[in-house]
Amino acid sequence: MNDEQLRILEALVEAADSGRTAVLATVVRTRGSTPRKAGARMLIGRDGVWAGTVGGGCGEGEVLEAAHAVLADGRTRTVRVDLTEDLLTLSPAVCGGIMEIRLELVPPSPR
Amino acid sequence: MVTYAHHDAVDAATAARLVLEAHRLGRTSVEAVVLGGPFAGTRFVLREAGPDPLLHFEASGLQGAERDVLASAIADAARSFIRGSSTPGPRAAHTGIQEIALPDSEPVEVYFELYPPTPELVIVGAGHLALPLSEVGRLLGFRVVVLDDRPDFARRDRFPAASEVVRVDFRDPFANHPPTHLSHHLLVTRGHRFDCECLRQLLVLEPPPCYIGMIGSRRRVRATFHQLVDEGFAPERLAGIRAPVGLDLGAETPAEIAIAVAAELVRERRGGTGLPLSEKERIAERFFGNRDAARTP
Repeated sequence: MNDEQLRILEALVEAADSGRTAVLATVVRTRGSTPRKAGARMLIGRDGVWAGTVGGGCGEGEVLEAAHAVLADGRTRTVRVDLTEDLLTLSPAVCGGIMEIRLELVPPSPR
Repeated sequence: MVTYAHHDAVDAATAARLVLEAHRLGRTSVEAVVLGGPFAGTRFVLREAGPDPLLHFEASGLQGAERDVLASAIADAARSFIRGSSTPGPRAAHTGIQEIALPDSEPVEVYFELYPPTPELVIVGAGHLALPLSEVGRLLGFRVVVLDDRPDFARRDRFPAASEVVRVDFRDPFANHPPTHLSHHLLVTRGHRFDCECLRQLLVLEPPPCYIGMIGSRRRVRATFHQLVDEGFAPERLAGIRAPVGLDLGAETPAEIAIAVAAELVRERRGGTGLPLSEKERIAERFFGNRDAARTP
């Protein structure tokens, strides 16, 4: 296990144990050139990112938006972040690939 | 034969607890999440649970006969992951999606996350090079252990990044620290004869440690190899030793050398070429070569 995996798991357990609801975002599949590969994870709460990253500027805004939707309705979803279209625009998404990111609700653990 | 313990389905937090528990025991685990089909969202954790890591798993997240079919298919895949993870070399096992075939229904996609035990970086020799090496080792996620026979050097307070600093006898440097197939050894001792002692012990291990690097000039490395060949070690065995250790960056200072060694460790882990990406990709030349040349006044 690397440090990044360790930090995410610890943050996840800590959030669940302290009664805070979170969303776990996991890159499950990528194609082309993407900032992160499968396995990159991010833990998101109501007030923003708690741990990890799925790719910095590249598509993270879309992921945060989806995370808030998951927080609102509790439903697992997979978002496809396409970083190929805006390659030559001013968008920060200049990475050139597609990432599939699964987002699921992590409710507080029952006591 | 595979043994399972049956539990209720696990949620993400429970899975994290199970994985962290295995991690603290130095054991591998695999987390699997079914992405499609009737069991979409079902999460399994398979942990190395017995003395033979390939046979004994505790599988959490199973319930009912249908899930058992899925679970055993996932367990097979997970075992191949774990087998792969203990093989040295570039990215033998991957985190990612695999398609699992099921009897009487469509195959399902399952996302696997592999949690191998934390690899260990054993730095032999606690001199000036060991300081930056222990720092970069820690940065790269290794559990860092520093060994030396000199009490003034093998001091805990000199190595804040190390998990252990141990005073050893170089006649038997690994007596209290048996190397495993996950150990990475860096020999940065103060002398050729200590390197020989270490290599004599490391080279007879079965399976061999996944990485042995030794610092030294061409002359020193040659002298060490010469002695070992004289003692009967096969030259093929010596060829696996990374000596002189590190990528060719022209490094001179201890910090620079540590970065060159760290770069080689990353390459070992990920399997890159070691070339500058700009030279490998040559984007300007390949995509803009003629046009740019034409524009140049």
